[in-house]
Amino acid sequence: MSLEPKRKEEGEIAAKPPLHPVAKRTVTVAVAGNPNAGKSTLINAIAGSRLHVGNWPGVTVEKKEAVFSFEGQTIRLVDLPGTYSLSPYTQEEIIARDYLVRERPDLVINVVDATNLERNLYLTVQILELGLPVVMALNIYDEAQAKGYKIDVAGIERMLGVVVVPTTATKNRGTKELLEATLRTAADPGAHRPQRLNYGSDIEAAIAGLAAGLQEKYPQTAENYPLRWLACKLMENDAEVAREVRIDPAELANEPLAHLRGAHDEDVESLMADTRYGLAAGLTREVLHKPELRKTEMTEKIDRIVLNRFLGIPVFLAAMWLVFKLTFDLSTPFVDWLDALFGGPLKLWTAALLGVLHAPVWTVSLVNDGIVSGVGFVLEFVPVIFAMMFFLTLLEGSGYMARAAFVMDRAMHAIGLHGKSFIPMLLGFGCNVPAIYATRTLETPRDKTLTALLIPLMSCGARLPVYALFVGVFFASHAGTVIWSLYVLGIILAIVMGLIFKKTLFRGETPVFIMELPPYRLPSFKSLCLHTWEKGKHFLVKAGTFILAFSIVMWFLINLPWGVHNQADSYLGKTGRVIAPIVEPLGFGNWQAASSLLSGLMAKEIVVGTMGEIYAPHGNAAHDQAPPPSFGSQLKGIGSSFVGAVRQAVANVTSTFGIASLSLGGMAGSSSLTTAVRHNFTPLAAFAFMVFVLIYPPCIPAALAIAQELGSWKWFGISFFYQIVLAWGMAFIVYQGGRLLGLGG
Amino acid sequence: MNLAMLKPGETGRITAIGAIGPLKRRLMDMGVLVGEEIMVRKVAPLGDPIEVKVKSYSLTLRKKEAQGIEVEVLK
Repeated sequence: MSLEPKRKEEGEIAAKPPLHPVAKRTVTVAVAGNPNAGKSTLINAIAGSRLHVGNWPGVTVEKKEAVFSFEGQTIRLVDLPGTYSLSPYTQEEIIARDYLVRERPDLVINVVDATNLERNLYLTVQILELGLPVVMALNIYDEAQAKGYKIDVAGIERMLGVVVVPTTATKNRGTKELLEATLRTAADPGAHRPQRLNYGSDIEAAIAGLAAGLQEKYPQTAENYPLRWLACKLMENDAEVAREVRIDPAELANEPLAHLRGAHDEDVESLMADTRYGLAAGLTREVLHKPELRKTEMTEKIDRIVLNRFLGIPVFLAAMWLVFKLTFDLSTPFVDWLDALFGGPLKLWTAALLGVLHAPVWTVSLVNDGIVSGVGFVLEFVPVIFAMMFFLTLLEGSGYMARAAFVMDRAMHAIGLHGKSFIPMLLGFGCNVPAIYATRTLETPRDKTLTALLIPLMSCGARLPVYALFVGVFFASHAGTVIWSLYVLGIILAIVMGLIFKKTLFRGETPVFIMELPPYRLPSFKSLCLHTWEKGKHFLVKAGTFILAFSIVMWFLINLPWGVHNQADSYLGKTGRVIAPIVEPLGFGNWQAASSLLSGLMAKEIVVGTMGEIYAPHGNAAHDQAPPPSFGSQLKGIGSSFVGAVRQAVANVTSTFGIASLSLGGMAGSSSLTTAVRHNFTPLAAFAFMVFVLIYPPCIPAALAIAQELGSWKWFGISFFYQIVLAWGMAFIVYQGGRLLGLGG
Repeated sequence: MNLAMLKPGETGRITAIGAIGPLKRRLMDMGVLVGEEIMVRKVAPLGDPIEVKVKSYSLTLRKKEAQGIEVEVLK
């Protein structure tokens, strides 16, 4: 293109390339490309653990950045969201194009899928319009070669005026050459100016007319934006751009443009898309030679089974069952190990340490029950989140996720969800927290929000101990049926709430379902691990802080006012007393039950623990402990129990392929607790209580996950509120309805 | 004749795109253009959406959207 790249920033970035341009400063490189072009794998291969993951300002779209040094030059790599186009219709497209237009990176690496040249080049054509120096990574090159494609790399370079480097990111091939080409181009952008693509005389005349009008009437704007690009956008009546530059395209009307509009029914936008695709198609014809005989591709063969009319759903269900089982079986032993570690030895050590320091007794309790428990609690989520993110990334990277959406879309669409929503919902049965994080696989904010709002209705594993306690006491003979009914109730409520939300909060918007089914590919192990690590770290830092703070607040609620001995007199007990009348109509209007529910906000399984302490406050464990074992033997114990956890994880995974059964053994509380529960609840009240536990806000970590994943406290509030109201309502119906039916009160 | 009426295995040439605004732009960005050949590959097990082949890659869309894409049958 003939345009000098315009730069908005003054100062560190000079207006004209200096003589030794890249020696001193950082070269900023934006990485753009289609989804499924292997962009993240390429970035992972280049930047690896130096990647920093955050969000683009104001949205929940992930932003990855890395700063590193290559051959003595500092490079800042900015990963743009994967897009098919730079039109302004999806969040990702707006982000990518705003970054390219406003931030003016020094260079763009355009990642192109060599097996799908034409559609990828459509984006390339649009990137070239911006007038920025471009280096093309012709990725997935090995697969293209394996298919027998002959790609004339020099031809692409000649026709587009950009350096093209064949890469195979999954095998880390070509990445060094890519960075070298990047530095060469950045060092002398003038010599690597992309070709200006010719859109045909009619369109070119209109562009020229618009550009001239812009320069005349809006010299400042013309200076600040890539002129040709701006002219194209105004010609296409791009509302987003017109609003930003505050120019009414009608003002710049000119003869060739009027002619163009007349000849194409005012639809210049379609004409431009056609023309760009025409360029991409023409280029592809020139440089790509496919073999005459096309083999049936692996993807087609796999899809014959995976997407088969009859086998599609069974295959999908089997895959989901496997992912679910593997996620939770693999992580549970480690969760238990962390639980034991934080519950036992660590507390003894901090107590011993504080004793040596002559710290007051209450600090021991604060540190142990507030902080150590809180940290332990956060860490216990880590194995689950890591395991789930690993499998989710595998599903996504392999191409199966898109198939799962294809298979399930019809069913999920009925309640206003996207086909891809099924997987996060399913994971919710294990643990709501990672499930909410899993909604990031959904594309539109609407789908993401709606799914995250409904996930808490999936009865998670932490609710099982509560059910187990009550079912064990009241419904032992029908244990399976009662627990099953709670799970089903959750699903029915999710469907009902989905329909209600669709008609209220999300009225009008119906996101379309137009999605690529990418070929099956084996993601690189390095990329998988990096993704998993990024997500896990994200959780630890962001949610962890909040959870820890909440844990400390809970400690104060239980232990204040100062010197409180009886739970009933603590702030928790007092709050419970205040809440009790509210839950009275639900059949469990005593402060003990109310306080347990309150503490259950931390985590639902805590309901049982709190009940144990409140109803049966005997045997304070801290006082009648045996003398602690030696430090060395404790360390040894921790080590060997970790080995045990690894063994258990392996055993679990292997047994996944055998028979899995839900075990309730050992979950019910102590005998004094069961006696207390029997005295304080009727069977009907117990069932109402379980219904309440099923529906009321899952736990603080899940609520925080919602706030974090949706990037707003508004949804946190809506989610919390609707669940409280729904829980109360359903428990009311169960209890009062049951009494009316004469089921006893 | 619209795209939703094609049976798996049938190919058509796109004659018109009835959609407007973002949906039309989205379709065009994905290579669904007037004059393009489009082949229906599969129908999802539950009857919707459908999988089509266009510009030598696989795309899936709901029948509702496919109904807005006019085609003439080839072969």
